[in-house]
Amino acid sequence: MRSEIQGAPSFAYIHVDLEPGESVLAESDAMASMAADLDMRVRFNGGNIFTALLKKLFGGESFFVNEFQNNSSGSKRVTLVQGTPGNLRQVDLNNSSVCLQPGAYVASSPGVKLGLSWAGFASFFGREGLFRLKATGTGTVWYGAYGELVEKNVEGDYIVDTAHLVAYEPQMRLKVQLAGGVFSSLLGGEGFVTRVEGTGKIIVQSRSLHGFSRWLNPKIY
Amino acid sequence: MNIEIVQGPGNAAAKVSLGANETITAESGSMIAMNSHLHMNTTTHSRGGAGGLLKAVKRMFAGESFFLNHYKAGQEGGDVYLSTPLPGDMMTHELNDESLIVQARSFVACGDDVDVDLGWQGFKSLLSGESMFWIHLKGTGPVILNSFGAIYPIEVDGDVLVDTGHIVAFQDTLDFSITKAGKSWLHSFMGGEGLVCRFHGTGTVWCQSHNPPSFGLQLGPMLKRRPR
Repeated sequence: MRSEIQGAPSFAYIHVDLEPGESVLAESDAMASMAADLDMRVRFNGGNIFTALLKKLFGGESFFVNEFQNNSSGSKRVTLVQGTPGNLRQVDLNNSSVCLQPGAYVASSPGVKLGLSWAGFASFFGREGLFRLKATGTGTVWYGAYGELVEKNVEGDYIVDTAHLVAYEPQMRLKVQLAGGVFSSLLGGEGFVTRVEGTGKIIVQSRSLHGFSRWLNPKIY
Repeated sequence: MNIEIVQGPGNAAAKVSLGANETITAESGSMIAMNSHLHMNTTTHSRGGAGGLLKAVKRMFAGESFFLNHYKAGQEGGDVYLSTPLPGDMMTHELNDESLIVQARSFVACGDDVDVDLGWQGFKSLLSGESMFWIHLKGTGPVILNSFGAIYPIEVDGDVLVDTGHIVAFQDTLDFSITKAGKSWLHSFMGGEGLVCRFHGTGTVWCQSHNPPSFGLQLGPMLKRRPR
């Protein structure tokens, strides 16, 4: 399998070239174009109806995922993209995990298992959901968000505005707190923030759809 | 006439440099700046002749403007900048006595000797339940198109499926039908892909990286209801 992210940073999309016998999994509606001799099949997100339901209800993910399988004799291309404009990232897992914000998942290779684990009430209040999506295994996972993705190495702890955390390494812990004192938190427009604790990498998005809709809403009349 | 796409791919605009007495025909509302001595003329047709009104009605039906604007340069020539409301890229394509089928919302402008019509496959798409309309560009001269996101071409050789929301334009040497993406209709709809266009033959189809309805599905629930 060869893949290439193009259109970054504003309008990133992924060309995936599948060799005979290979397949790739992608979230519902991610396919922009594909060779007609690839087989597209629907799978429950997570393999069974129960996990799919949990992911839909609590993980902010779609109920179904699509599997693109190359049963032909040549290399075939499928092009995948997320719903919002913004950047995408590719992570190569080697018997390791990455945690994703609800809605960030775009696609993965078959060796990667998508699981849902309890994220805690802190995550919920940080608008990151009660459960977190954890991609585990060996292979490639692609994820993205509205806006640009910024990587940050955290040692100790770090503060991220709510709804701006996209991905983090599984050993990181999340807590929710006020941005400053009660007064400055409310008047300064920051309100609640997410406190990330531990040592590892986090990915932050430069824009959020919540922020964009807050800006857009007063203009609708 | 010289056309340059500037500031692409994120927020592209097309700079059209007109020579003496040259004209460019553009979708109404697409001009963002121009030399003050250019002459602007608004009609319902792209080229002189009968049937202009009917074509205009059809364009309106397709969500495009009823009117087309013609920017004509005098002896000294001049520049006009064209753009569109959606963020994304633009492209130019040169027609040489041939036809190009353009998804209605991607049309920006064309040269004076290109005919703009909405006759082709329009009703086939309507019957399939997709609100898709095609503009048929025919003749000789440059064409300017826009997209939501980046544009990538696919040289079709064997069949290719494109999600209906990702099509910008395609050459009319390609056959096209509206079909399902998966093995069965059930799979296609459950998988969220719904209807796709199947291109068959030899030619180029230009795709846009992003799909406006998909973005709308994510942004829409966060927007407040419009007061009545």
